[in-house]
Amino acid sequence: MNRLKKIKELPLLIVLIAISVFIAIVNPAFLSLENFLDLLKSNLVLAMMAMGMLFILLTGGIDVSVASIITAVNVILGQTLVHFTQNIFVVVLIACAAGILLGLMNGLLISMLKIPPIVATLGTMSMILGVVLYTTNGNWITGIPQNFIDFGRIILFPYILGDGRAIGIPIQVVFLIPVILLTWFVLKHTVMGRGIYAIGGNIDSAERMGFKTKKIILFVYSIEGLIIGLSAVAHTSIMRQVDPNAFLGFEMQVIAAVVLGGASTLGGYGSVFGTLIGVSLFSVINNGMILMRIPTFWQKIIVGFIIISSISVDMIQKKREEKQKVRVDVEEGGTYAV
Amino acid sequence: METPLLEIENISKFFPGVKALQNVGFSINKGEIHALIGENGAGKSTLIKILSGIYQPEPDGIIKMGGETLTHLDPLTSLHHGIVVIYQDFSLFPNLSVLENITLGRYVKSSKRLVNYKEMRKIAVDALKQLGVEVDLDILLGDLSVARQQLVAIARALANNAKLLILDEPTSSLSNTEVQKLFEIMFSLKAKGISLLFISHKLDELFAVSDRFSILRDGKFIGTYDENKLDDDQLISLMVGRQINYTIYPKRHLDIPLLEVKSLTKKGNYKDINFTLHKGEVLGITGLVGAGRTEVVKSIFGLNTADEGTLLLDGKDIIIKTPTDAMLAGIAFIPENRLSEGLVLRKSTKDNLGLTLLDVLSNKLGLIDPVKQEAMVEKWMSKLEIRPNNPDLLAAKLSGGNQQRVVIAKWLATEPKILIVDEPTNGIDVGAKAEIHKLLISLAEAGLGIIVVSSELPEILAICDRVVVMRRGRVTANMYCEGLNQEDIMSKAI
Repeated sequence: MNRLKKIKELPLLIVLIAISVFIAIVNPAFLSLENFLDLLKSNLVLAMMAMGMLFILLTGGIDVSVASIITAVNVILGQTLVHFTQNIFVVVLIACAAGILLGLMNGLLISMLKIPPIVATLGTMSMILGVVLYTTNGNWITGIPQNFIDFGRIILFPYILGDGRAIGIPIQVVFLIPVILLTWFVLKHTVMGRGIYAIGGNIDSAERMGFKTKKIILFVYSIEGLIIGLSAVAHTSIMRQVDPNAFLGFEMQVIAAVVLGGASTLGGYGSVFGTLIGVSLFSVINNGMILMRIPTFWQKIIVGFIIISSISVDMIQKKREEKQKVRVDVEEGGTYAV
Repeated sequence: METPLLEIENISKFFPGVKALQNVGFSINKGEIHALIGENGAGKSTLIKILSGIYQPEPDGIIKMGGETLTHLDPLTSLHHGIVVIYQDFSLFPNLSVLENITLGRYVKSSKRLVNYKEMRKIAVDALKQLGVEVDLDILLGDLSVARQQLVAIARALANNAKLLILDEPTSSLSNTEVQKLFEIMFSLKAKGISLLFISHKLDELFAVSDRFSILRDGKFIGTYDENKLDDDQLISLMVGRQINYTIYPKRHLDIPLLEVKSLTKKGNYKDINFTLHKGEVLGITGLVGAGRTEVVKSIFGLNTADEGTLLLDGKDIIIKTPTDAMLAGIAFIPENRLSEGLVLRKSTKDNLGLTLLDVLSNKLGLIDPVKQEAMVEKWMSKLEIRPNNPDLLAAKLSGGNQQRVVIAKWLATEPKILIVDEPTNGIDVGAKAEIHKLLISLAEAGLGIIVVSSELPEILAICDRVVVMRRGRVTANMYCEGLNQEDIMSKAI
């Protein structure tokens, strides 16, 4: 099993290495430890959100409201920190609860009212952004308490550079690593996790087999909300303020990273390891384009191209499979009588 | 006598307007291969869905497993009692490994929360050992051939401790050698005391494996018979013979060829199809579902291009690659259910009539020319006697019969020489069927050639002058309907 899985994600890994080598040749700065740690810090939230999105894509759903949900949680988080409490533990709980509630809202619309996921999440996205705009007026939330800022600045395994700066693993990995482990464990080792794959493979069969498909769909949107809640804490602790516009268009990046990692937008295919490679690929390409001084507009075009091409390959494969299914068994040597 | 494994009594299922099953009752013994037989639409699928807990029967129905009455059967409790259905699509997961396909159901059933891959492997190996086959457990199911997937589905049933295995047309997508292998497996399961309910349309297969037959016709239970007490002809006569009183229209022998179909072949669909449609004729094409009927007529209409073969219209070769080619050649095609569902109900009769003619009716700017539209609408409303004679009335306000006239009129407005209708009366009530029959006959009398694809033998016998019977992609008979009965047709189709 494990041997096979590794083989499946091998091509992606090779692409990742090839691109890294190419960027390193063009700009050797890419290979420095410092750049690597920067990459980790700036893509950590993407990696967490990708885990959430993986749950959704596996069931055959999609969630375009993720950017609006993290924005909303960030605002709630910022206000709580500024006005109510400085207790980090309480803040994390509040962020998780807010994320779960917003995710649950999507889940209810999709599983109970059977609204197509793209429509439901487009709707909630607009509503959430509206409320965020109303409460913030588009203004940044500043004045985050010092203890939270200090927390966000902690680095693990520090290493002092020649110029006296300390670099190391950002503290925010304490959110990232549990999220990855949780996702892996749920998907790989729980019956419900395998049910998530089963739903993506064939929802009718999953139902016939006895999976409670409505419950499972509700669950994936809630756990995604929980992950977004934790992502919001990680993000705010890195940025030390809340920008209501920071995540504009971020949903596309999340979806693209997961799809790049081999997940199918039609459901059923995708893994944690693949998603991590997808996120790395996406961040390396982005980072490489910056290091190679490619203009921003070109970066956007290239990212869009990557999204569309990786999804098209997926769709074309599915279509081919469908075509092979429609067959009538033709008998040899039939008779013909008038 | 030993208690039967499954006993059902008085099982009925009604849907709005349809009695899908009425008072069905029979029993299946332990270690028996029991065949469930009936025409398309006889109620076999409904019965399977009741046994598997997807549908609930009407209140007085009784289902007993091993003498114990099962109240309120849902999919999970049905599985708990060992009833496992292997559907034609197998209900497997192409994206999961063979291992998980075999064992996952058992985990769901036992309401465990965690999966244990070691244990799964043991269960799967056991199940495959019982079947006596070897399949790589780590391969994705989607990468297996259909026959291998079927084995996985059976292995899954065994892993679920199946007592009654329901096989829904298990041979329909297998080659001959694969069918023989399946039969061997069925016999070995039977020897282990597992009961099988076998559904098939193929007589040779039914007689080869079954101990007893239970026959359904039109949702009614006809009886259970021992395999050795029946022969082919008796079985067919029990299956068919639906008593439906349609008006039988006079049969004609027509001889001016309109459309000649010669050696039409499409790989994987049908092979060497030959027939001729004459001017003014109603030609039926029948056969069991999956015989390739619809595929053939779709090819004639350019929706499913054939690999080989020629079409002659009025003696001249025609090439049809797209529906537009077909429409230009004068062929109209009304797909299944379109007579009953082919209307935009919230639009007027006038608008509905114009739908097929948008390019003819529109002027140079691409807008509809009201003068042309008026003329067209008036012509067809009077030709087909659509009542009330008010083109602005919403289609929803018309009676059923008149709605169907509007649909036909909209296709006739393209001035076809040939009208192909696929299952024209599927799922509509008897009165509306009679209306459609009358209309089709009157069109034929006006000189159109009409091809009716239908599974319903009484309908074929009521309106067709001639019938082409198909079986597994081949034409098996081409007969005048005069003097035919349902058995004559069914014996060629099965």
